[in-house]
Amino acid sequence: MGEVFVITSGKGGVGKTTTTANIGTGLASAGKKVVLVDADIGLRNLDVVLGLENRIVFDIVDVTSGNCRLRQALIKDKRLEGLHLLPAAQTKDKTAVSPDQMRTLCTELKKEFDYVVIDCPAGIEQGFRNAIAGADKAIVVTTPEVSAVRDADRIIGLLEAAELRDPKLIINRIRPKMVRQGDMMSIEDIIDILAVDLIGVIPEDEMIVITTNRGEPVVLDQHSRSGQAYRNINRRILGEEVPMMSMEEDGFFKKLRKIIGLN
Amino acid sequence: MAYSRGNSHSDILSGFGQGLPLDQEDLVDENTILVQRTLRSGQSIRYNGNVVVLGDVNPGAEISAAGNVIVMGALRGVVHAGAGGDEKAVVLAFKLQPTQLRISNHITRPPDNETPDADHPEMARIRDGVVTIEVFQTGLNDRAGVGK
Ligand SMILES: Nc1ncnc2c1ncn2[C@@H]1O[C@H](COP(=O)(O)OP(=O)(O)OP(=O)(O)O)[C@@H](O)[C@H]1O
Ligand SMILES: [Mg+2]
Repeated sequence: MGEVFVITSGKGGVGKTTTTANIGTGLASAGKKVVLVDADIGLRNLDVVLGLENRIVFDIVDVTSGNCRLRQALIKDKRLEGLHLLPAAQTKDKTAVSPDQMRTLCTELKKEFDYVVIDCPAGIEQGFRNAIAGADKAIVVTTPEVSAVRDADRIIGLLEAAELRDPKLIINRIRPKMVRQGDMMSIEDIIDILAVDLIGVIPEDEMIVITTNRGEPVVLDQHSRSGQAYRNINRRILGEEVPMMSMEEDGFFKKLRKIIGLN
Repeated sequence: MAYSRGNSHSDILSGFGQGLPLDQEDLVDENTILVQRTLRSGQSIRYNGNVVVLGDVNPGAEISAAGNVIVMGALRGVVHAGAGGDEKAVVLAFKLQPTQLRISNHITRPPDNETPDADHPEMARIRDGVVTIEVFQTGLNDRAGVGK
């Protein structure tokens, strides 16, 4: 029986889709059977980030409304054997799926996959409620901005109310130099408010933009700092102890590579 | 208008022995609710009595109480004590860093230039018609009959 993760944030544009793609791709390259579910109905883009847009025939709404069988809607990744995508519908809206349908869908997917990773839409409305309905665990993504942290806090409260306890936190787009200069919230500032477990920190990195446009998640790039950060997150999800990188030092990624014996 | 933090520690501590002693037994009475979690952004508590929070009150959260508000953690949201007009109501927190603090019909906020880093409990109350923040001395250790 697999596990269902929902990747959520409250605030838009903080990196949910990027994170979903990189966690899914990373877990699949570690040999796991993974399905990514795009629950951002109406604003489909997980397929684009994975470079699978041209293969879509059926989508999640076709499945939940009985237009096709689940198996027909699942798209196989072009690189990784164990990776699959259930795409969102582009032409419908977020009310096209109900929380009950989502729960049923997740139960089905869990039978076949080790990990089900759901890309949640921004906001706290129906789309959010649908996306979390079938989840066992939540990962909250935030950026080091006061407004994003505020929304993450709101989301954590709503997750708790929905019995999704102890979410894990990813802090995305951190810029060590700005943190050092006191121009950006530090990891400690954010944890002090949110009081949840940190599962990873992703630096601001133009390789994310480059790889996203190529439809090829950065986690597959062995040289980028953000790819390394996502690989660490995936190892933590798989239960490994990977030391958290210190943002204090310059070149902390170099040090990190040394610690975990890469390069 | 901004509230003012009390003068020096020793001054305030000695202040407890002087003019305006606070009867700590009155901080919470039988009309008190205990909130055993952190209040996160968007969550609020309204109560016709005292409110004690065993956790933080995060930015974007709100508490409104007819009586006192006690937060056993960081208070960073909006708080209103004495919401029904009680001028004797107090707000007490381990880390008192509210977005806005109201007692009775006094509405105050931290001074704009202040980055409070309170690492000791503080208490807000009305003194001479002005909301004032003071260091809070628990005195729990040398008090008999606590937790009556
Ligand atoms: N660490 C990073 N460094 C640089 N760019 C990033 C980083 N993380 C995300 N981005 C960029 O930010 C943009 C938004 O990311 P993404 O689409 O993953 O966010 P989202 O939370 O899914 O947004 P939405 O709420 O609209 O669904 C993308 O263009 C992505 O390439
Ligand atoms: Mg997205």
